[in-house]
Amino acid sequence: MVERTFLGFSRPRGRAGTRNHLLVLGINGLIAATAARAASALPFARLVATPYGRGQFGPDKECHFRQLAGIGANPNNGAVLIIGVDRKSADDVAAAVSARAAVPIEVLTLDDTHEDALELGVRAIRAGASLSRDISRARREAVPLSELYLGLECGHSDASSGLAANPLAGALADRLVDAGGTIVIGETIEWLGAEHALSPRGVTPETGEAIVRAVAAREAAVSAAGIDLIGNNPGQENIRGGLSTIEEKSLGAIAKAGTRPIIALLSFAEPPRRPGLHLMDGPSFSPESMTGFVASGTQMILFTTGPGNSYCSLLAPTIKISANPAASAQIRNQFDFDASRIFEGRETLDAAADRLLDEAVAFASGMLTWGEAVGEGAECFTRIGASL
Amino acid sequence: MTVEDESGWDAVRIAPGDHVAVALRDLQGNARVRTGDEIAVFALSETIPLGHKFALSDLPAGTEVRKYGAPIGVLTRSVDKGGHVHVHNLRSQRAR
Repeated sequence: MVERTFLGFSRPRGRAGTRNHLLVLGINGLIAATAARAASALPFARLVATPYGRGQFGPDKECHFRQLAGIGANPNNGAVLIIGVDRKSADDVAAAVSARAAVPIEVLTLDDTHEDALELGVRAIRAGASLSRDISRARREAVPLSELYLGLECGHSDASSGLAANPLAGALADRLVDAGGTIVIGETIEWLGAEHALSPRGVTPETGEAIVRAVAAREAAVSAAGIDLIGNNPGQENIRGGLSTIEEKSLGAIAKAGTRPIIALLSFAEPPRRPGLHLMDGPSFSPESMTGFVASGTQMILFTTGPGNSYCSLLAPTIKISANPAASAQIRNQFDFDASRIFEGRETLDAAADRLLDEAVAFASGMLTWGEAVGEGAECFTRIGASL
Repeated sequence: MTVEDESGWDAVRIAPGDHVAVALRDLQGNARVRTGDEIAVFALSETIPLGHKFALSDLPAGTEVRKYGAPIGVLTRSVDKGGHVHVHNLRSQRAR
């Protein structure tokens, strides 16, 4: 059998990129506006600027650093321009990025300009312009599909998600795992009520137990807060679409996980060490969840929805899939793949999954998603503790 | 939707033991429910919107309702065969 490939940007270390971004990475809220000013003057730059960076401690500080370093090290970046306040913390992020990604990195801080933010911006534009030109020499080449690390997300689910779009994502996940690729699924609270289906699929009993513990920890947090999941998760869009309880939503959501063994439960933003199917213990709000995927290295995201959901990652092309026939007919510029024929019983899951794999290869090879074409895209940092 | 479905069913019972079926379009009157390769007709007691669930038998209050072959919550009141099952009569058993 001929090995399946996509056209990607090979990296000296790690997986190939599906894109070749110049990332402008603001690592401190004090210079977020400076980073934005520089990025707006660089037509080929992508800006990720955290609003945080001081007054954090313990696991929250560690989690924030892991997100910054992981976003910088994402294979879709051809070069990274780090903008910071003090030299030390900026160099720490640069070291963590270069430990995972061998791409050009430049570091500029307010320390270098004696607190002059305008001057910092000018230097950032000069450095960014040079990086842009340098990385534009890169050309796509055929790389094995096994280099693909795909995140699977669902947002604004309805009953068509659990019946068609999520099983379709699962069938694609199975195909990619069989080709040697890597998959991640997050949103821990949406395993609640479906643990019994996930935990036996762990490659070791410890993995299965870790999945059950992760769900129990989120459930305990909900109970301790005294809140009702109804109206929150499932949310109002879910309820309108026919989903009544978190158990029902979860059983539909985990269809994204396909049928292959679960290699490991990753912590938030943690990179996988082996190919295959992974779970990530993380928040269920898509912007946070997907940034966890991107920081763990996903070069592309498959996003299933029912009535529609416009949110996309900034760094990882986000393929939108709906199986809701009315939504697919109404919204013209959002869905990259129409799965409504499965919902209506007019296309088999296998036929649709083969078609989706072809499309995924096209998007991985440079075809723009709707989200990219219309300028959607953001990354959203998660906080897991209070500031000092 | 008014389109005649060529495939011959307009609701689906996902797993054989499920208490509910899912409407594949907005439904009134009768529903043709597919279970595996079999199709059976059920009379609906109310309008069931696309994606929503209805009972496939008379279900007493306290029933642990199954969909996808797994429990999705408990009925807070009884539902007649063909009746809507949703947030007004079904409660999660988790995170309470």
